[in-house]
Amino acid sequence: MSSVLRILLRRLGISVIVLIGVSMLIFAIARIIPGDPARIALGPNATAEQVVMIRTEMHLDEPIVAQYGHFVADVLRGDLGTSLYTNRPVTTDIAEFLPATLELVIFAGILMVGFGLPLGILAARHRGRWPDHVVRVLTLLTVSAPSFVWAVILMLLFAFYLPLFPVAGRLDSAYDITRVTGFLTVDTLIAGNFGAFLDALHHLVLPAVALALSGIGQAARLTRANMVETYDKPYIEMAEAYGFFPSRIARRYAFKPSLIPSLTIIGLDFAAMLGNAFLVEAVFAWPGLSRYGVAVILRKDLNAIMGTVLIIALTFLVVNIIVDLLIAFLNTRIRHSTRGAT
Amino acid sequence: MTRALRIIASNPMSLAGLLLVLLIVAAAIFAPWVAPFPTHNTAVIDFAYANQGPSARNWMGTDLVGRDIFSRILYAYRISLGLGIVVLIIAAPVGTVVGLLAGYLGGWTESVLMRLVDVFLSIPPLVLAIAVLGVLEPTLTNAMIAVTVMWWPWYARLVYSIARSEREEGYVLAAEVIGAPTAHIAFREVLPNCLPAIITKMTLDMGFVIIIASSLSFLGLGVQPPTPDLGSMVAEGARYLPDSWWMTVFPGLAILLAVFGFNLLGDGLREVLGVDE
Amino acid sequence: MSALLDIRDLRLGFKGLRGITEVLHGIDLAIAAGERVALVGESGSGKSVTARIILGLLQEARAARVSGAVEFDGRDISTMPARQRAKLRGTEMSMIFQDPTSSLNPTFTIGRQFAEVMRRRQPEMSREACDRRASEMLAEVSIPDPARVLSAYPFQLSGGMNQRVMIAMALVNHPKLLLADEPGTALDVSVQALTLRLMHDLVERHGTAVLFISHNLGVVREFADRVYVIYRGRIVEEGPTRALFDNPGHAYTRALMSAVPRITGAGLPEVPEVSDDFLAPMVRHTGGAA
Repeated sequence: MSSVLRILLRRLGISVIVLIGVSMLIFAIARIIPGDPARIALGPNATAEQVVMIRTEMHLDEPIVAQYGHFVADVLRGDLGTSLYTNRPVTTDIAEFLPATLELVIFAGILMVGFGLPLGILAARHRGRWPDHVVRVLTLLTVSAPSFVWAVILMLLFAFYLPLFPVAGRLDSAYDITRVTGFLTVDTLIAGNFGAFLDALHHLVLPAVALALSGIGQAARLTRANMVETYDKPYIEMAEAYGFFPSRIARRYAFKPSLIPSLTIIGLDFAAMLGNAFLVEAVFAWPGLSRYGVAVILRKDLNAIMGTVLIIALTFLVVNIIVDLLIAFLNTRIRHSTRGAT
Repeated sequence: MTRALRIIASNPMSLAGLLLVLLIVAAAIFAPWVAPFPTHNTAVIDFAYANQGPSARNWMGTDLVGRDIFSRILYAYRISLGLGIVVLIIAAPVGTVVGLLAGYLGGWTESVLMRLVDVFLSIPPLVLAIAVLGVLEPTLTNAMIAVTVMWWPWYARLVYSIARSEREEGYVLAAEVIGAPTAHIAFREVLPNCLPAIITKMTLDMGFVIIIASSLSFLGLGVQPPTPDLGSMVAEGARYLPDSWWMTVFPGLAILLAVFGFNLLGDGLREVLGVDE
Repeated sequence: MSALLDIRDLRLGFKGLRGITEVLHGIDLAIAAGERVALVGESGSGKSVTARIILGLLQEARAARVSGAVEFDGRDISTMPARQRAKLRGTEMSMIFQDPTSSLNPTFTIGRQFAEVMRRRQPEMSREACDRRASEMLAEVSIPDPARVLSAYPFQLSGGMNQRVMIAMALVNHPKLLLADEPGTALDVSVQALTLRLMHDLVERHGTAVLFISHNLGVVREFADRVYVIYRGRIVEEGPTRALFDNPGHAYTRALMSAVPRITGAGLPEVPEVSDDFLAPMVRHTGGAA
């Protein structure tokens, strides 16, 4: 286990550097804003007096380095400032909207892995034959449209023409569920309301599929490419020479060794869904971070913009660390016994 | 070149991609001449034909103020392709130079540059563009800036990984031994070996830039009305689902078609140029 | 005497862009039960594809066109359904490959791979029983610490060790026929010689018939009862090892022999030049086992 720990520490070290960089980047973005942030914060009708006051309050009268210092100090204290849009602390807003987004992204991630990998395995196993061609065209199609186009098409087909799924929202208003985690699939179970749980799942299907489609395509294409390379290895021929079933060879001999190189990219695709969630949420009126994000951006609500981006970057980093650890763990399960043996 | 064309033409999927791309580029270039209603790229109002489904007069229907959707899609292709070209023309060289310097020089330069790249890559691409656009005014130019800012690091990473392995190759060592200037080795010896990968990525990226740009305008952060843009057309139409389905479906399919074409072509190029996935 | 393996007029073509390219032009080859037979030729002469046809692997490749009879244990493999063929592999016949380390699955332990192979014959076999049986087999190939090897991954073992593992694995199900495709060519010379001797003793004890494929006449001399020499998809000479070495009848065999040092050498023997004599009719030494 010690090597996993070492990788974790190294990864955390890099993450800290990257996070410092991200904070600088976000700070820089906030400062390239044309015009005076104080004026934007106050709106066009502010008096000169108010402007001076808010300038002092926002430390805008201090040198840029000091401003960055204040920004970092505030962030470390968990203070992301107050949103001009909602008039509440940005952290409160994020705590309210982030779980809905995470729930959506996690379900989409499950779909991505659950459908993408098997499709890739299928294509690789029948490489050069018709299942391969079909999967190739289908996956190329799914990666060729932004998630909001899939969202609109799915909504039209499966919510309007075939009313199989709800059009919008997370839960039927008939249910009243106490908020604990913010994940409705979890909260409904905590409340012991199984009907509400199914309703929450029912609401999740279309948005999650819309969000996952391009990820499914990417995961399938990647898995296929890595597996086709593995199929040329001598141990595949050996497995064939020993008469193992083709399906067994595909799963155990061609897929397993190609999983590790695929994982990094799949992790990146998963994290990219955090961005695409903005689009899907907009279509399905999903009350997640996106509606908040777009609203604060259109209002030039600096604190809220910086806070939202920071939280998303943080989530992104955490996902990547988890993926790296998973890879390290899979690798060490092999390498661990090395030291015992030689 | 002719050999490359022959290989692409021998694969039906790559050929389809090439034809699709040519078709869309032609549609964009000749939009003012081929669009049935060449004035509908502006704030024209024609209430007599407002909100009508596909017909012989308007193949893809009309929008709320009576503008022809098909004509507007052709004009929107101009915006999408133009934006894609500008973004890649800036992002690819910038990223290439950064990646080349980091990969070939190594040491100090490598650490600083690649950490910088890591920083940009650790914000989901769309979110970074949204953030940049959030503080700038939502215009076409600013959308280009935002997308370029999020795009160059990917080229830096690609070129970096190739340059780093090329650094150890015999021809580079030989050039170093005879005392060739560093810039010469980096740009004349190492860079040509990165080109196939860069060209393939640029083709595939045309599709992705179209996706990102339309996503931004879908959120209302890109091109502003009345200029037609595929993303904002979908967003506008989405409010009138399911009755006025043509307002969203056709612009949506237009995005799909264009990106699909670039992806097919990019896949074909990858085979021709022998680039790893 | 009825042969375990009887190949008659075997032809193989590959469908390419310009029609079918024939690789084997009608091969006859027979192996009796328990007999050790070598098939010798340059790379590209068609010896490896022959082994893959016997295993029934090439019949499943789309571009391959196989004709002729391949009778194994009285049944014609080439007319068998694919499933039946697959049933024979790993049970009635097995194969040893050129590069032992890369031919073993890098993500499984040796013990697990043994179990996979043994369950081809006895699907219900427990892992403990598999490990016990595998240990016995590993002891037979002179591996001193079977338990350690069983829990190791292939890349943790030396090439010579993996070679022995592969031999043990190939014989664990008591196959009637073992195909050995250039075994150990990837290893260094002394290790190769050692493992070949080991394999020789083992198949003798188990009474396994072997088709030993090699480009190296020197290696074959130590190992085989009978030799076939193959050149460009045709058998050019066949006979008992002794007779063939003492009195090589075909021009190509003589060229091959003069190109190869008599010791067990590694590396590809290059036949110096191509001569029209190489296309002369086949030489058959009588008095052989077949």
